[in-house]
Amino acid sequence: MKRYKNRVGLILPLIILISVGIATPAQSEVEVNGFVEGLWTGGVDDNNVTDRDYTAAETRLQLRLESYGESAEAFAKLDFVQDGFDSTSYDWEVREAYLKFRLPIGIDFKIGRQILTWGTGDLLFINDVFAKDYQSFFIGRQDQYLKAPQTALRAEWYNRFGSFAIVLIPDFEPNIIPTGDRLSFYNPLQMSIVGSDGYMPPVEPDNNFDNTEIAFRYSRSIAGFSFAGYAYRGFYKDPRGYNPVDDYIYFPRLNVYGSSLRGQIAGGIVWLEGGYYDSREDVDGDNYFVENSSIKGFVGFEKELMTDFTANLQFQVEQMVDYESYVNSQDALITSSMLPPNVPRVDEQKTMITSRLRKQVYSQTVTFSLFGFYSPSDKDSHIRFSAEYKYSDELSLMAGGNVFDGDQPSTSFGQFDLNDNVYLKVNYGF
Amino acid sequence: MKKLLVFGMVLALAIFATATLSAADATEIMKQSHLAYYYSGDDGMAKVSMKIVSKSGKERIREFTILRLDIEDGGQQKYYTYFKKPSDVSRLTFMVWKYPGGDDKRWLYMPAIDLIKQISAGDKTASFVNSDFTYEDISGRHWTEDVHTIISESETVDGKEAYLISSIPVKKYKGFAEKKSWIDKKTNLPLKEEYYDKKGELEKIFSADVIEEIGGFPTITQRTIKIIKKNKYTTLTFDEITYNTGLGDEIFTERYLKTPPRKYIK
Repeated sequence: MKRYKNRVGLILPLIILISVGIATPAQSEVEVNGFVEGLWTGGVDDNNVTDRDYTAAETRLQLRLESYGESAEAFAKLDFVQDGFDSTSYDWEVREAYLKFRLPIGIDFKIGRQILTWGTGDLLFINDVFAKDYQSFFIGRQDQYLKAPQTALRAEWYNRFGSFAIVLIPDFEPNIIPTGDRLSFYNPLQMSIVGSDGYMPPVEPDNNFDNTEIAFRYSRSIAGFSFAGYAYRGFYKDPRGYNPVDDYIYFPRLNVYGSSLRGQIAGGIVWLEGGYYDSREDVDGDNYFVENSSIKGFVGFEKELMTDFTANLQFQVEQMVDYESYVNSQDALITSSMLPPNVPRVDEQKTMITSRLRKQVYSQTVTFSLFGFYSPSDKDSHIRFSAEYKYSDELSLMAGGNVFDGDQPSTSFGQFDLNDNVYLKVNYGF
Repeated sequence: MKKLLVFGMVLALAIFATATLSAADATEIMKQSHLAYYYSGDDGMAKVSMKIVSKSGKERIREFTILRLDIEDGGQQKYYTYFKKPSDVSRLTFMVWKYPGGDDKRWLYMPAIDLIKQISAGDKTASFVNSDFTYEDISGRHWTEDVHTIISESETVDGKEAYLISSIPVKKYKGFAEKKSWIDKKTNLPLKEEYYDKKGELEKIFSADVIEEIGGFPTITQRTIKIIKKNKYTTLTFDEITYNTGLGDEIFTERYLKTPPRKYIK
């Protein structure tokens, strides 16, 4: 992270300066707004193996700066965070700093540090292969922090056939996942839930031309439905590979091909998305230490059931390709005593049901929200709940929590079983 | 006796004719009013400032720019809204494709997560951005959804001559059981509206506070909705209004949802 931050730290102010210069007509000015937020998150499980008793205690200042002309705009979003555990510890992050401009031939460019999103799921991602920050997501930060920024070039060409978007990401950035400091997690090598002493920093791909991530999307409207096709060449964003010779974990190569459909049906919104995860370093599925290829799909439906009450439901299936090769490779390693006999075996098919319920009362100033993930195959779950009160245009208060449950410590949510937490948040916008 | 019968028939016919004429007139007046209020020009845009005042006097302010394109007079329309204030919704954009008689299509773009979310058409009587205006107050209730009757043709509101018209929903409707509208005879704009619930109690009052002529179109530049029982109100003020600017259809697409047309939105 350090390495990356220093470099971006140098380049970004330059980009901002140039951008503002290009985009701004002499009379226009830079608009500034943002918020200050306090977040306190406490773990409720005394047996957790993390370093900290509190999951988060931070004060955050977000500054948004914007300047624009008729065909270009420059935008920067800077976060300054003071960590309450250690009064000398503070951090800053350039969440966004980009220049957008529009060519008259129908092409829009967005260059710089930015949040990238596409696809149709509600907190489920197949073709959205862009970086996520699961740590922020699990400790009560605003939902927007689930999307981690990346430095990228995005071009989108709009014409009568639809829109063609291409995203180039020269510098690989992984998902931000628990490291044992704030949240404990399952280490498959130790086969147990660990704190930061069990954290193994993964090795990132070299920063070279061939490792540039490329993501492509074609989308158009068909009979009132929005259709999209996607392709991606890059890497798993989680460390799904292990090198047993040199003993390190890393991000194996991944290609993704998929499509999605979204539209209005029966007074609600329906969406459907599927994709093929092509694990390029384990094409036959017989390398136990690299994730197998898989086919994923989900379907969702959302509807406003009553005034200011919206509910949705999603169902996702993930099918491992070459399951037999996976089983055989695991058996072979157990036979040769390279793996213990009780090593957990992943199911061939993983299913997931999610639901979001959202109710607003008192002229929409109070919002109750509940989001649940439940996997019938893995028998684990994650529940997120919150209540927010907007006292005024500036001030809002929020209380909420995260609950994780699972039969096995090796599953996606089961590994966070000890991380149940509650939080309190105060936000002042300006 | 014969004379009386003829007289009676003539009278009945006359009453019948007047009644049908009146119903037709009332519907026509409401149609013209709807067109004058929601369909001025082929397109329009304005900067809107919304002041929401609660019972205790606490104010909330929203500022946004609204662009409108008419596909067909009295029919399909497209709306584009760019929010400037408050801070937590700044830069957020919202698009509606309105289909009278069908389900509207709505999209929201949240710049903080670069996400375009299609949202279900939902309840048209739901509040528009926390205010006392409903979605329907903003984009209009089609005149064919109610049965209209002229109550009086000689009303005056703030010195303006007006028709008083009663509107009763054809289908059972949660927004109101009866609406009384005072329609300006000169401009066709609603000067005042009273909304009654099914018990016949006055629920809310709409008032056109300021009317100005802009680009040849009489326009309500300030309007208020007051919720009587809850003693709260919202005032909308329109500035920098222009009509027939030549807004293109392409503005009302996902492309512009993600990057606002800065030519119009400052």
